[in-house]
Amino acid sequence: MGPFLFELLFSFAAIMKINIPGLIVAITASALLFSCAPSRLVRPLSKGQNVINAELGGPLIEYSSLTIPTPLSSIMYARGITDNTSAFGSVHTTSLLFGNIQTDIGVCQKIYYNDSLRLGISVNPALNMVCSIWDGSFKCWPEADLNFYWEIKPHKSFVYIGMENWFELSQTRAEDQPQTTHWIFCPQVGYTYSRTKWDYNIELKWIAPNIPNLPNVVSYIGISGNGALGVYLGVTRKF
Amino acid sequence: MKKILYLICVIAIGFTSCFRLDNNLYNPSKETAYLLDSYTGDVDFTLDASYKIPDSLIHVFSLQSQAPGESSSTTIYAIYVGEISKIAIDTVIMYCHGNKCCMDFYWPRAKLLANVGGKNHYGVLMVDYRGYGMSQGTPSEAGLYADVDVCLQWLKSYGLTNSRLMMYGFSMGTAPATMLTANPRSMTPAKLILEAPFASAATMADDASQLAMPGSFVTSLKIDNAEEIKSVQQPFMWIHGMDDTFLNYKTNGMVVYNNYEGTYKEKHLIPGANHSTIEIYYGFTNYCNDLNTFIRR
Repeated sequence: MGPFLFELLFSFAAIMKINIPGLIVAITASALLFSCAPSRLVRPLSKGQNVINAELGGPLIEYSSLTIPTPLSSIMYARGITDNTSAFGSVHTTSLLFGNIQTDIGVCQKIYYNDSLRLGISVNPALNMVCSIWDGSFKCWPEADLNFYWEIKPHKSFVYIGMENWFELSQTRAEDQPQTTHWIFCPQVGYTYSRTKWDYNIELKWIAPNIPNLPNVVSYIGISGNGALGVYLGVTRKF
Repeated sequence: MKKILYLICVIAIGFTSCFRLDNNLYNPSKETAYLLDSYTGDVDFTLDASYKIPDSLIHVFSLQSQAPGESSSTTIYAIYVGEISKIAIDTVIMYCHGNKCCMDFYWPRAKLLANVGGKNHYGVLMVDYRGYGMSQGTPSEAGLYADVDVCLQWLKSYGLTNSRLMMYGFSMGTAPATMLTANPRSMTPAKLILEAPFASAATMADDASQLAMPGSFVTSLKIDNAEEIKSVQQPFMWIHGMDDTFLNYKTNGMVVYNNYEGTYKEKHLIPGANHSTIEIYYGFTNYCNDLNTFIRR
C-alpha cells in the first residue's frame, strides 16, 4: 500500500502542477518515515500467543490544500513471553521503499493490573533502528511508551491513553549544528476492537506538542502551531 | 505461521527498492513557448509597467549542455536580458532560478534584476535547467551544474570576463550558484548572491523530523551549500526572509552565512518575508539598491 500511496501523492501533485517546493515532498517523506509510529503493544499477550500486525498512518500534513495523514506503514510480529511480558519486532515498510531497513524491537511489560476495575498499566521500552542500504548510515533511537488501558469487557476490547517518548542522543545534527531537541513525546489515545482472531485498532497521537511546527519544510497540522496530529489504523491477526 | 513470516520477509526484501526522493527536488513544467509578460500562471509577484523590458532586449535562445559522463548533449533554453553586443563591456548577473515551473514563472524576478542600478544597467542571463520549460531532458543534480556552466560558456564567448560576472541563486538555484562559484568551471564569478538558500538536504531532513537523521536515509543528492560555501572566497551577499516557513533562515541560510570564510559578506534578513515574498517585503526599490551597492562595491 505504501508505494501506491506515494505514487498517488506525487502523481496528483504533478498533474495539478502544484507548487510544492519539491523538497517539501522529500522532507515530508523523511519526516513521515521516521516520526512516531503507533504503540506496538498496549496490553501484553498471553504466554505463547503470536500476533502479526499491520499499521498505516502518520502525522497529518497539509498537502496541496488537502489535509492528509502521511502514508506510513509497518508490519509487526509479537509473541507473549509470559503473561506479563511480550516481545515485539517490526519492519517499517515505508522506510524500505527508500532503501532503509528500519525496525523497532522491544518488549511490552505489564506493570499493573486491577482485575476488578479491568485497568492496566504497561510500558514498552524499545530501540528504533534504521540502516541505509545506500551508504550504511545507521541511527538508533531509544523509545519508551507508557500506556494506561481499560478493558471494556474482561480481556476484550479496550481503550487506552498514554505517551510515546523518543530520545535523540546525538549532540549534533546536519552541518555540525547543535541538536537541541533530545526528547520528543507524543500523547496518544486509542481504541482496540478485539475479536477472536482479529484486533482492529485506531490511535490518535499528538506528536511533539512542545515543539512549534513553524517554520518548517513540512506543513504539519498541529494544535496552536505546535507538533503534529497523527492518525494510525491497525489490524492484528492472532495465532 | 511460518509461511506467513516467510511471506512477510519476502515482501519486505522486495520493498527494499530504489525509491528515492531525489527527483522530487524538481518541480518543472513543460512548455512549448515562453510567454514572459503574457504568462497567466501563478507568479510570486508582479511588477508595474515601469519595469517592462523592451522586446529588443529580450533574447531567447538554446544551448547544448552535456554533463560529465553523458554521451550526448541536451538542448536547453535561456533568456538573456540586455544587449548581447555589450556583454563584452557589461556586468552580467547569472540568475539561477528555483525549482518550480520554468522561466515564465521567474520572469518578474529577472525583470527586477534587469532594473538594478537603472533600466537595463546590468545584463541578466536566466536558464531553464534541463526538463524545465522548453528545455529537453530530465532534471538532475549534475545537469543543474552543467546547464548553468554552459550559460557561462556562452557569456564568455561574447566577451564577458570573470570580474564582471555576478552569480545569483534563488532557493534550489543556490545549489548551482554556490557550486560553480566554489568550484569554477568555465568562468569564475566575481561575487555570489544567495536568496533563501538551503544548507543541505540533510539539514532539511533534520528540520522536518526534529531528529539528527542522515540525509542519505531519503536522498542521494550531494547538494551541500553549507559545505561548498567554505570554498568561496568571492564577496558574498545573503538575503533571506525571517518568516520563511519553508527554509528556516536560522538552520539554513544562517549556517551558510556563518560557514563563509571569504573576503567580504553581508546579510539582509527581511522581517515578515516568506520564502517567495522577499522582494515584496524588502521593497523592490530597496532590493535593487542594496543589490546594486553590493555589485558596485
